[in-house]
Amino acid sequence: MSVQYREQNNIGFIEFDQPGSKVNLLTAETLRSLETLLDEVRSKASLDALVLFSKKRDVFIAGADIKEIEHITDAGEGEKKSKAGQDILNKLEDLTVPTLAVIDGVALGGGCELAMACQYRLATFNEKVKIGLPEVSLGIIPGFGGTYRLPRLVGLAEGLKMILSGKPADGAKAMKIGLVDRLVPSQNLNHYLDEFINDVRQGKFSSHKYARRKKKGLAAILGESFLARRIAFHQSRRSVLKLTKGFYPAPLKAIDVVQAGIHLTDRQKGMDLESKAFGALAVTEISKNLIHVFYISEKYRKLSLPAGQAGLSGAEDIVPRKIRKCAVLGAGVMGGGIAQLLSSQDIWVRLKDIRYEALALGLKSAHKIFQQALQKRRLKKHEVMAKMARITPTLDYNGFKNADMVIEAVVEDLNIKEKVFSELDQIVGAQTILATNTSALSITAMAQKTKDPSKVIGLHFFNPVHRMPLVEVITTSLTSRETIATTLNLAKQLGKTPIIVKDSCGFLVNRILLSYMNEAGRLLEEGGRQTAANSTSGIARIDKVMTDFGMPMGPFSLSDEVGLDVGIKVLHILEDGLGERFKPNGIFEKIYAQGLLGKKSGRGFYIYAKKRGPNPQIQKLFSTKSRETFDADEALKRMVYIMVNEAARCLEEKIVEEPDTIDAGMIFGTGFPPFRGGLLKYADSLGAAAIVHELERLWEKWEAERFRPAAYLLKLKEQNRKFYN
Amino acid sequence: MERVAIIDGIRTPFCKFATDLNDVEAAELGRIVTRELIERSGIDPARIDEVIFGNVTQPVEAANISRVIALLSGIPKTTPAYTVHRNCASGIEAVVQSVMKIQLGEGHCYIVGGTESMSNIPFYFTKHLQEILTQLSRAKNVMSKLQILTKLRPAHLKPRIGLELGLTDPVCGLIMGQTAEVLAKEFGITREEQDAFALTSHRRAVQAREIFKEEIIPVIPGPKYAKAVEADNGPREGQTLEALQKLKPYFDRRSGTVTVGNSSQITDGAAALLVMSESGATALRLKPLGYVRAYTFIGVEPSRMGIGPAHAIPRVLRKAGMTLKKIQAIEINEAFAAQVLACLNALESEHFAKEFGYKGYAGAIDRSLLNVNGGAIALGHPVGATGVRLILTLLKHMKRRNLDTGLAALCVGGGQGAAVILER
Repeated sequence: MSVQYREQNNIGFIEFDQPGSKVNLLTAETLRSLETLLDEVRSKASLDALVLFSKKRDVFIAGADIKEIEHITDAGEGEKKSKAGQDILNKLEDLTVPTLAVIDGVALGGGCELAMACQYRLATFNEKVKIGLPEVSLGIIPGFGGTYRLPRLVGLAEGLKMILSGKPADGAKAMKIGLVDRLVPSQNLNHYLDEFINDVRQGKFSSHKYARRKKKGLAAILGESFLARRIAFHQSRRSVLKLTKGFYPAPLKAIDVVQAGIHLTDRQKGMDLESKAFGALAVTEISKNLIHVFYISEKYRKLSLPAGQAGLSGAEDIVPRKIRKCAVLGAGVMGGGIAQLLSSQDIWVRLKDIRYEALALGLKSAHKIFQQALQKRRLKKHEVMAKMARITPTLDYNGFKNADMVIEAVVEDLNIKEKVFSELDQIVGAQTILATNTSALSITAMAQKTKDPSKVIGLHFFNPVHRMPLVEVITTSLTSRETIATTLNLAKQLGKTPIIVKDSCGFLVNRILLSYMNEAGRLLEEGGRQTAANSTSGIARIDKVMTDFGMPMGPFSLSDEVGLDVGIKVLHILEDGLGERFKPNGIFEKIYAQGLLGKKSGRGFYIYAKKRGPNPQIQKLFSTKSRETFDADEALKRMVYIMVNEAARCLEEKIVEEPDTIDAGMIFGTGFPPFRGGLLKYADSLGAAAIVHELERLWEKWEAERFRPAAYLLKLKEQNRKFYN
Repeated sequence: MERVAIIDGIRTPFCKFATDLNDVEAAELGRIVTRELIERSGIDPARIDEVIFGNVTQPVEAANISRVIALLSGIPKTTPAYTVHRNCASGIEAVVQSVMKIQLGEGHCYIVGGTESMSNIPFYFTKHLQEILTQLSRAKNVMSKLQILTKLRPAHLKPRIGLELGLTDPVCGLIMGQTAEVLAKEFGITREEQDAFALTSHRRAVQAREIFKEEIIPVIPGPKYAKAVEADNGPREGQTLEALQKLKPYFDRRSGTVTVGNSSQITDGAAALLVMSESGATALRLKPLGYVRAYTFIGVEPSRMGIGPAHAIPRVLRKAGMTLKKIQAIEINEAFAAQVLACLNALESEHFAKEFGYKGYAGAIDRSLLNVNGGAIALGHPVGATGVRLILTLLKHMKRRNLDTGLAALCVGGGQGAAVILER
C-alpha cells in the first residue's frame, strides 16, 4: 500500500511509501487511498495533529503521475480528474484536527498542492528540499488547487512567479516567502516535529494559514490592493509573452485563472475555474508534445551506457571513472567555454594554448561567465575566486600526464588534430581519456594516431558552452565501453544532456542543422532581393519564417552568432564526406569572401552596431536572377523538410539508434521548439506521406537531388508508419 | 639524520610596487606558484604533509595565508598549513621549518614558499579616528552622535601608511634605509661604491632574463586578464652609472649616501619549493635540484640590521664544517648596496673575525661568485618571498653550472641574519 496510517502519542501519521519506487507519486490510486484514510480520521477529533510524512529518502511527493495526464484525451475527463483531486485535498484542508506536511525533500506539483492543503508545513535543511509547481513546463496548469492556494499563501507576486516559471523554491526561499512555517534539521526530526506540534497547540501560529505571512516593505503599505494586483497581472502577462512569444498557452491560462480567482471567497468557484482550464490544456497537442520532451529530457539527462551487445559484457560491470582533472587544449571560444564549465563543477583544468594572449582571453571569458553568475547571485565572490583558481594556463604539456581526460578544442583541421593526438599519445597516462570537441571531423582518424584508440571519444559541446544543454558523445568502433561510460558520467556531472552518436561526417546535430542553414542561404539567394516596394530585407523575412515556427532565432541570426567562417568550414567538411547537397550555397561564399562573418566581425547578415538591422551590403551580392518575393509557406517547408530528410538518412545510416535521440539533439542543441515535440515528433504530426509528397514535388520543381526523399522516409510512407510507433 | 632534498621550485615574475601585479593579492600569488609547482612536478597533492609559507604583511583578509593558499591549490583539506614570519627571512624560515620537520621524522614532503604583495598593504586610520568611529557606533541618539563628531579634526583623517610602518623598526626607531646609512657611515662605504654595486646588479639581472624563464611562471592577472606578465620588471636595460649618481640620498637628505637607486625595490612576488626527504625523493624516482646542508639564524643590533649576513655566514659555515673557499656561489640579499658592502668589509676584516670568534670561517668573498644573476636592487625584494627566491635562483644556477655548493644569506629587519648552505 502506498499510503498507511498509524497513531502515536495521540498524533496521527499518514505515511506515503509507494512500493517498488524511489519516489512517491500522487497517482489516482494514491489519492483514493488517501481519501479513505481522511474519511476515517475525520471522526478522530481528539487527535493533537495529523502529520503527512514520506518514508522515501529526499522525497515528499514528486508530483502527479505524468502518464495519467498524458493519457487524457477529453477535456471533460481532464476536468473531472482535476476535480477529484481537488475534492480530496479540500477534505484534508477542512479537517478540524491541525494538519501538517513534513517536507524532507522534493515536493513538486501535486506534492506541493497536497502540502498547501495542510494547515502547516514543516521543511528541513536537506538541500534536496524543492517545493514548487512545475506544471506549466508540461503545457498544463496545477490542477489540485495550486492556483488557488499558492498566491494566497505566499502573496500574488511570488505565487505568480512560481506558477509561471515553474521554478521550485529551496527550503530557505520557501521559508522566506511563507510557503513553509519552519525549517528544522533532518537529523532528530521527530524531536523538532514534537516541538512544532507543541508550538501549534500553544497557539504560536495563527490558525488561519493565509494570515501567517508577514508583509514587509512596500507590500505592507500597498497591501494587495486592487491596483497592485492589476499591475502584477499586467506585468506577468507581458513578461510571459516576451519569454514564450505566445507559443505556450499554459502560463497565460494560469494568469487568467489566478486573476479570475484571486478575489473569490468561495473556494469551490476558484477550484472550478482551475479544473476547467486544466482540462482544456491537458488535451492540447502542445501539452502532449511537452510531455514527450519531458520524457526525452529525463531519459537523456540520466543516460548511461546502453546494454552490452551480444558477446560483450553488459553495462553493470563497467564503473565510470571519476573525472577530477581535465586538460583542455585550445583556449578559444570553445576551449575557454569548456574550461569554465569544468571549473564551475570544481574539476581541475589545465588549459593549454600556444600563446599567452589566447590563454588570457580564455581566462577572461571564463571569468565573465562567473561574474554574471555572481551578479545573478548564483555564486558568491569566494566561490568565483575558488572556481577561477581551478583553471591554470600553460603553453606546454606540463600537468597533462595525470589528467583524467584531455579535451581537445584546437582549430578544426584534421592534420593539426591528428598531430595533436599523436603528441598527446606520448604524454598522457595510460588511463587518460582523449576527447575531441570537433564538430565534424573524423574521430576514428584521430584515434588511429594513438596507441590505445579505445580511449578516444568525441565530446561535442555547443556554443555557448555554459548555456547549451546538449553534448554529442561520439563513439568510434574502437571506443571502449568504459570510455563511453566515463564520458557520459562527466556530461551528467556537468549538468549536460548527452546523446550517443556514431562517428560519421558531421555527426548528428550539425549535419541536420547545416542542411537547413544551407537551404536558408539558397532561399535568400533566390528571393532575398529588397526593393522599394518590398522594404523588408529577405534576411529578416526568412529569419521571421523560422522564428514564427518557434525557433529561438532565424538561420541568419544563428549564423551571425556562430560565425559564417565556422559554418562554411563545416559545410565543406560535410560536402567532402556526404556529397553535393552540402556544397555551400553561392551567397554564403560571397558573403564569406567579403569577411562579413557575423557578430565577431561586427557585421554579418546583420549589422551589430548602435543601429542594428539587416546588412545592406548583402543586397549588392545577389545575382541578377534573384527575385524579390518568396513563398513563406514553401520556404518553411524547404527548410524544415530538408532537416527531416537528413534526419531520416541519419536513422537509415544508424548514426543514432532512435528518433528520440534526434529530437533530443535538435531541442537541446539547436533550440528546436519544444512545443512541437521535436523535429521527428513534428514530422509525425504531418505524416510521412505528406512529407514525401512535398519533397518529391520540390525535387521535381527545383530539379534538386537534395530533396529526393530518403529511403527511410519512403519506407515509413509505404508501411504507413511514423518515426515514433 | 635524513638529508633534505629540494626537488623543484617556481616563482612569479617580481614586479615593482603598484605595477603589473598590482591587482594580485598575496594569497593569489602564493596560489599560482603552489598550483604550478604541483602541476609541473606531477606530485600527488595527497602526498604533501604540510604547506608552510612565509609572509610579512599578513593580509587581514587571508588569515593564516598558507592555509588559504593550500586550499585554493587543490591540496587536500586534511593537510595542515601554517604561516611563518621572520621578517625578511620569512621565506628562509619556511624552508627551515620543513627541513627540521623532515629531520624529526614528522613528514616526507612539504610545499614551502614565500609570498608578498607590497602593493596591497592597506592604509590605516589614526587611533583618534578609530576611537571616534567606535564611539559613534555605540552612540544611542542623533544628538550624541553629533556631539562625538565635533571632536573630529582634519589631522585625524591622515592615513597611516602600512608599508612605511612595516619598514620602520619600532625598537630602534629607524626606517630600514636609515639602518643602511648607519652601516655606510660606520664602514665608510662611499656613494660611488654603492652606485657601482647597484649598476652591476641591474646589468647582471638584465643578462639573466633568459635564464630566469626557467624559474618563472607567467601570471595573467585577474580580474582583467588583459595580458600575461612574463618577466621581472625591476631590472633596467639602459641603467647607467650617471643616472644612479644623479639621485638624491633618500634617508639622510643632507649627508647620506643611500638612494632609492642603490636600495632594493619595493616589489610583489611569490616563490615556492617542493621539499622532500632524500629517501622519499628516491622512492618516487625524483631528481632533486639540490640538498640543504646547513642553516642558521643570528641576532644583531637592530639599528645595524644589515650586518646580519656577516655574522650568519661564518656561523653557518662552522655548522657545516666548511670554509668560505668551498663555496662556489653566494647570494647575499641586496636590501641595500651599503649593507652588502659593509658585510663584505666585515668578513674580510681580521679584527671582525677575531672579535666574534669567526676565525677560519670568515674571509674575502670572491665578487665574481656573488649575486651572479643580480639581486634585489634590480629584481626587487618582496619581503616574504625573497628568501625562497634566493634558494631557487641559487639552486638553478648551481645546476646550470654544475656546482656542488652554494650559500644564501639575508639581513633581517629588526636585527637578524640568516644563512643557508645548499649542496648538490
